[in-house]
Amino acid sequence: MTTPYLTETRYPLELTPAMPDVWELWQRAKTLEWDPQTDIPWAELQPERYTEEQILAARLHWSRRTWGEYGAISESPALLLRFCLENRHPDLRFFFTMRTQEEGRHAEASWLMAERLGGYFPQPQNPPTVSAVGTHGVRRMAFDPDTSLEGIFASLVCAAEEILIDAFKATVHKATNPAVRRLMELILRDEVRHIAFGWQCLDAWAPWFTPETVLNIERAVTTMIQNVEFGGYRNLWLAIEGGSATPLEIDADRVACEAGLGGTTPEDEMQIVPQFVRKIRARMIPWGVKLPMFSHPKLGQI
Amino acid sequence: MTETSDRLLRGYQAQEKRFVERRFPLHFEPESPAIRELYSQSKGFRWNPTEDIAWARLDPAAYDAPVREAARLVWSRRAWGVYPGLGEGTSLLLRFCLESGSAGMDAKLFLSFRPAEEAKHLEACYLFAERLGGYHANPGHEAIARASNHPFAQMALDPDVPLEGFVAALGCLDDQLDLNLCLSHLQQSRHEIARQALRLIAGDKQRHVIFAWTLLADRLPRLAPERRPAVAAAVRDMLERVILAGYRNTWLLPPGAREGLLAAEALTAQHGLGASTVEQEKAVVRATLAQVRERLATWDIALPYVTHPELGRA
Repeated sequence: MTTPYLTETRYPLELTPAMPDVWELWQRAKTLEWDPQTDIPWAELQPERYTEEQILAARLHWSRRTWGEYGAISESPALLLRFCLENRHPDLRFFFTMRTQEEGRHAEASWLMAERLGGYFPQPQNPPTVSAVGTHGVRRMAFDPDTSLEGIFASLVCAAEEILIDAFKATVHKATNPAVRRLMELILRDEVRHIAFGWQCLDAWAPWFTPETVLNIERAVTTMIQNVEFGGYRNLWLAIEGGSATPLEIDADRVACEAGLGGTTPEDEMQIVPQFVRKIRARMIPWGVKLPMFSHPKLGQI
Repeated sequence: MTETSDRLLRGYQAQEKRFVERRFPLHFEPESPAIRELYSQSKGFRWNPTEDIAWARLDPAAYDAPVREAARLVWSRRAWGVYPGLGEGTSLLLRFCLESGSAGMDAKLFLSFRPAEEAKHLEACYLFAERLGGYHANPGHEAIARASNHPFAQMALDPDVPLEGFVAALGCLDDQLDLNLCLSHLQQSRHEIARQALRLIAGDKQRHVIFAWTLLADRLPRLAPERRPAVAAAVRDMLERVILAGYRNTWLLPPGAREGLLAAEALTAQHGLGASTVEQEKAVVRATLAQVRERLATWDIALPYVTHPELGRA
């Protein structure tokens, strides 16, 4: 090619599994594929059974979820490119292709849910919330050689995805609507693998962490919690600068949750977030990672 | 991280920064029913290389050692050719996302599936080679390594290359040739496992090619006139500097580098284990170039005739 591009050092192109646990996740992912169009009992959604307020809240909630899932197809796939450039183990590359596919499904499924509840919202009601819901910055980090892969894994998987799943796990039983519950279960099933992938990789690499790696992880996870999670990326009620979102948007998760249509209540969040922080703080200690205390106006010191 | 990977990452980083992503409004409703249908088919036609190919019926002992060696080399080479798809599809997906949140969701959803499909092809090739004695991780000759390693993933993220140029070069020309070769290998194969693997791979590749042509048909008429020459240049570059340099066909590799692989392909084709003869491949290349040239001409994109000592004028 007559281009100024650099050519990667591709060979030897190793394909033999080197991380059996991750390889197993790739194998599992292939056997657990599903289709949002056909594997959700859409006929049981029956939006006419709910009040206008509940339906609007649920539409807002599932639209927001769609925007979040979109981040996983517009940003985190950059990590696969990094795995390829850095000649990381084949297990990582194989698994991550499936992860991207699964995130695409989650985005489509969340959009379909909003649509079938009455209509998907293509953007936040108030432009200032765009920055909060817009991006978690993983693509930039993935292409930044000064940000370690370990730091990205820890922040994206062990922080951002972990809290998402903790919230799902803690509230899936409240989703009394069969279609909503099935969708949450299917997303949860995929995300459990995504999280296992991150922890398995970091556990395997931990013995070789340098002080710089540890610092990188601490910085990346802290940023993800303080700037992204507390910025309202997942739940607007948590947004420290919540003034940019409309009251309707902020309350949508609670109303939807109480109607059994997905989402969390502030009471749920008061339990889930501190437990999550304590959990990952303890989980990362064996790596030498010390997460700071976090201060949140609604959650206090955690 | 090596110095090379560091420089490569910085290259991607610089490219990414040249885009200003406008994520909202983020539209999901279908705008291209044909591409949304391809995405639906991807979900419906999923398969698993470890379960959907009856590997136990591929008995290596049924073949003499030279035949096994030949076939494992051919399927290893196929794996080297499949592997770039993981990065290219991913890069193209990112390009779509960087260009706009408000358009192209059908393509984004389709592309969110494609790298996993390529990974399944890669695993199938790997398993085939393993079954016959072991996958080769190294091409063994610098010229083969060079011919099979191009920075297309970077090209996909280059804002100076119109997206249409990338899709025309990679999707309409290279993917089309790859599909046609795959179908030729399928036609020539007699072993049921080679046929199973090639049939499953070809099914996915067919969608990838239709995606490229559909996307081009949708976008090319709207492309600014001053950007159209870049599309023609990308296709021509792909043909002259990549395909004719042996990216897909061993007989186009330089003498001195190709003999071992050529002999392996001939033996594999002879035993029906998933390859075509040189003459069969030449016919495929000529037919593909004619097909692609004709289709591109409908949009006034000219693919000039080429002359090559191994291929003649095509």
